[in-house]
Amino acid sequence: MVYSGKKASESNEAPVEPRIGVFICHCGTNIAGSLDVIAVKEYALTLPHVVVSENYAYMCSTPGQNMIHDAIEKDHLTGIVVAACTPRLHEPTFRTATANGGLNPFRFEMANIRDQGSWVHMHDWDGGTEKAKDAVRIAVAKATMLEDLYPMAVPVEHRAMVIGAGVAGIQTSMDLAKAGIETYLIEKEPTIGGRMSQLDKTFPTLDCSQCILSPKMAEAGRMPGIKLYTLAEVEAVEGYIGAFDVTIRRHARGVLTPDEAAARGIVGGGCTGCGDCSQVCPVVRPNSWEFGMAPRKAIYIQHAQVVPLIYTIDFDACVKCGLCETACGTKKAIDLNMEDELFTIKVGTVILATGYETFPIEEKSEWGYKLYDNVISSLEFERLICASGPTIGHLIRPSDGETPKSVGFVLCAGSRDNTGIGKPYCSRFCCMYSLKHAHQVIEKIPGCRAYIFYMDIRSFGKAYEEFYYRIQEEGAKFIRGRVAQIQELPNKNLLVVAEDTLLGMPVEIEVDLVVLAAAVQPTAETEVVRRLFGVSCSADKWLLEAHPKLDPCGTTTAGVYLAGVCQGPKDIPDTVAQAEGAASAASIPIHSGQVELEPYYAQCVEKLCAGCGMCVGQCPYSALSMIVADDGRTVMTVTAAKCKGCGTCGGFCPGGAIRMQHFTSPQILAQIDAFFLGGEQ
Amino acid sequence: MASAKAYKDAALSKRLADRSYRPALDSDPTFVGDVERISGTTAHLCYQCGTCTGSCPSAPRSSYRIRNFMRRTNLGLKEVSLNDPDLWLCTTCYTCSDRCPRDLIPTDVIMAMRNMAAAQGVLPKNMLGTVNFIYQTGHGVPNSDGNRAARVKLGLEPEPETTSKYPEYLPAIRKILEAYGTKQLADKVLAEGQ
Ligand SMILES: Cc1cc2nc3c(=O)[nH]c(=O)nc-3n(C[C@H](O)[C@H](O)[C@H](O)COP(=O)(O)OP(=O)(O)OC[C@H]3O[C@@H](n4cnc5c(N)ncnc54)[C@H](O)[C@@H]3O)c2cc1C
Ligand code: SF4
Ligand code: SF4
Ligand code: SF4
Ligand code: SF4
Repeated sequence: MVYSGKKASESNEAPVEPRIGVFICHCGTNIAGSLDVIAVKEYALTLPHVVVSENYAYMCSTPGQNMIHDAIEKDHLTGIVVAACTPRLHEPTFRTATANGGLNPFRFEMANIRDQGSWVHMHDWDGGTEKAKDAVRIAVAKATMLEDLYPMAVPVEHRAMVIGAGVAGIQTSMDLAKAGIETYLIEKEPTIGGRMSQLDKTFPTLDCSQCILSPKMAEAGRMPGIKLYTLAEVEAVEGYIGAFDVTIRRHARGVLTPDEAAARGIVGGGCTGCGDCSQVCPVVRPNSWEFGMAPRKAIYIQHAQVVPLIYTIDFDACVKCGLCETACGTKKAIDLNMEDELFTIKVGTVILATGYETFPIEEKSEWGYKLYDNVISSLEFERLICASGPTIGHLIRPSDGETPKSVGFVLCAGSRDNTGIGKPYCSRFCCMYSLKHAHQVIEKIPGCRAYIFYMDIRSFGKAYEEFYYRIQEEGAKFIRGRVAQIQELPNKNLLVVAEDTLLGMPVEIEVDLVVLAAAVQPTAETEVVRRLFGVSCSADKWLLEAHPKLDPCGTTTAGVYLAGVCQGPKDIPDTVAQAEGAASAASIPIHSGQVELEPYYAQCVEKLCAGCGMCVGQCPYSALSMIVADDGRTVMTVTAAKCKGCGTCGGFCPGGAIRMQHFTSPQILAQIDAFFLGGEQ
Repeated sequence: MASAKAYKDAALSKRLADRSYRPALDSDPTFVGDVERISGTTAHLCYQCGTCTGSCPSAPRSSYRIRNFMRRTNLGLKEVSLNDPDLWLCTTCYTCSDRCPRDLIPTDVIMAMRNMAAAQGVLPKNMLGTVNFIYQTGHGVPNSDGNRAARVKLGLEPEPETTSKYPEYLPAIRKILEAYGTKQLADKVLAEGQ
């Protein structure tokens, strides 16, 4: 075999003869049950430079790690190969073992013979064994050429940003601020609160949603550690963990806060929330926060408990008559010519908490939403039953304002739907809030009947099943069948048609009002923010956590975390729990003050760089730029902290002037050679 | 399902018959695969929501439950499915298939079972009567004088653009029915008088 010696001479290593130790893990029977670990161990000893080869039941265990440690000392190894599971799982473990033995941790190389070996070739003993030998040979080839590398530490800005101010964003920001971290809370709406502030009561305890949320909203609005920006969105993102430069667009509000007024030299001015402006405003628009069920003026607040209590002008509606300016008088809070503001904030870590919206349920036409007056969505129900809503809490049917005497609840409306129109997943809180809705109609309207059409009642949380019993006891009728169609009768009543699958009989029930428990989906803006921060999403568009079990708040972008429903449907308890988890995760790098970056960044070999500059535009992370070198030539340089080691530039440079650390061309070529030539002796 | 205790009173015996379902005895493990292959729909993904039965124009007027047939498919209940007269009550309107949230095509499951039943010679007489109508006229429901009058009243020609107007195409239709053995099957089953 020729590959190792030849390539070694090309690397910039000190010419020490490599001495490699190979360790084959059984992973219990995960590996040893499907391939011949002894044969692989013996094969490894035949490879050039391999001086030790061992096998062990669990290499990740303390005795397993000690084997590495001891062999380094005893056999003066220069490189370690562990053939086991995946680097994602145990690279850190074995790097630590390598370092404990006195070698540079980057002298470690892993061969994946489990996930890509025994698991996929479970029924092919010989084939799996051969593939494992290949994997070990390739890893040894690289191990002979590994170099000492040193992670780079970058400082972390002592500030965080939270995007989206629903209950998730509010909780995260408060936790961060209380931990002493200056936190920027960015909300696209004129007020914080999110969906939770639209809800009436909350299951299973039935406490009033606003009552438990508004103290938090008020506190978040007041806390000195929280810099709140409402009517604001992320415009651009640059940088990396420790130093994200986030550009915020603050939409023109048309109304000055007292602070902003003071900054303009208006003494004692700024909006006090008195509402005089709104009274005189001649323009009336549907209130989107009330789903169009109430009017609002062109200058408005969404509801009585908004934070901050500052009026907002809807410039799409405003006719600039100036009446509000006059009404506002000496407070001089109104600026009809206000423009959007752009500014950049540097933060160490970022949390996305952009929440959800309901799926446009009219797309499932068989239920007649937007076609029949008395078919409403669950969020509309929340507003209609809420004392602060458009009907002061009197549930009415939209067609005639009458009090309904029978209400049908359609569960899984658009969820658990594989047709491509609805959503394949379970929306997770609609069973529980539909139970709550049934309770509310029975409680508020004497004699009102509630029919719940369901497939399964998913009451999995603490005290949730008990809540289900309670609603059964209160007299709600549960019909196990998904609603097949809804027809409107001449009196605007609705005929709900399903199969009672437990009886095996079609059922038709005439009701006054139908409530659709509509599926939920990420907000449209989530996609924009996700792309700006380079965060992945799953097939259903919810933001993707770094690991579904072991890293549920992290993302694959270092320094960016997730909180709340933007990661997947969650009720309030789970949302708040995750928000606190995300705050904790995001505060760790900040409190550490610095983070270590993998030393996998690109390097410019200046003597080979022709200064063409073509790589600069190729880098997806804007890590490259051109500088004038000491000898006066223009050459490329890498901002190591921005480089993610993706290799785009390294593969592209026509002159071969870019060196990817830990993935150098000689190392990769040695691996390829080992694969192709290694079999022939 | 399989056995019945022998009571002297036949009616009582029938009422007290064992109705448990025992997969080992009652289930044909090849059934779901066969139905899925012929129908081209993944019937085993059915989660028994009942949207199909709730959509079915046949269900409120008969004992036919499309959801039941989906369940039987999954459980391999071949005999009971193919011999159930309800199998022939589907109008093939495809409403269930339009609405199934699992994106299945229950109608095609029924069609697959009908094909399997027919191959075993199990099918209702009126269906075979229809075969003979098609053989004779090219139509399951041939044109009639009443229909012709209605067409003329609507300003249409009395005969539609089918074999009613072009009887010269009938031999080809007959050939098709013979080539697939449909006509022979109909004659045989009708002659046996089942
Ligand atoms: C009808 C109904 C009833 C419910 N009842 C209950 C109940 O009784 N009990 C319970 O536990 N749960 C209930 N829930 C669930 C509850 O609403 C959620 O768990 C909770 O609101 C999730 O909070 P969040 O902060 O993750 O998301 P959201 O409340 O959606 O907040 C997200 C925030 O981010 C903002 N945002 C979005 N994109 C951007 C962007 N790009 N830039 C800036 N800001 C952005 C949004 O404007 C919003 O303010 C109910 C849900 C529904 C639909
Ligand atoms: S200027 Fe605009 S916001 Fe003010 S009162 Fe007139 S229409 Fe309303
Ligand atoms: S939570 Fe209940 S109603 Fe909502 S999608 Fe899941 S099963 Fe259906
Ligand atoms: S509609 Fe589809 S999923 Fe539901 S019971 Fe019928 S076949 Fe099964
Ligand atoms: S296709 Fe058949 S089973 Fe489906 S709805 Fe129509 S009649 Fe019923």
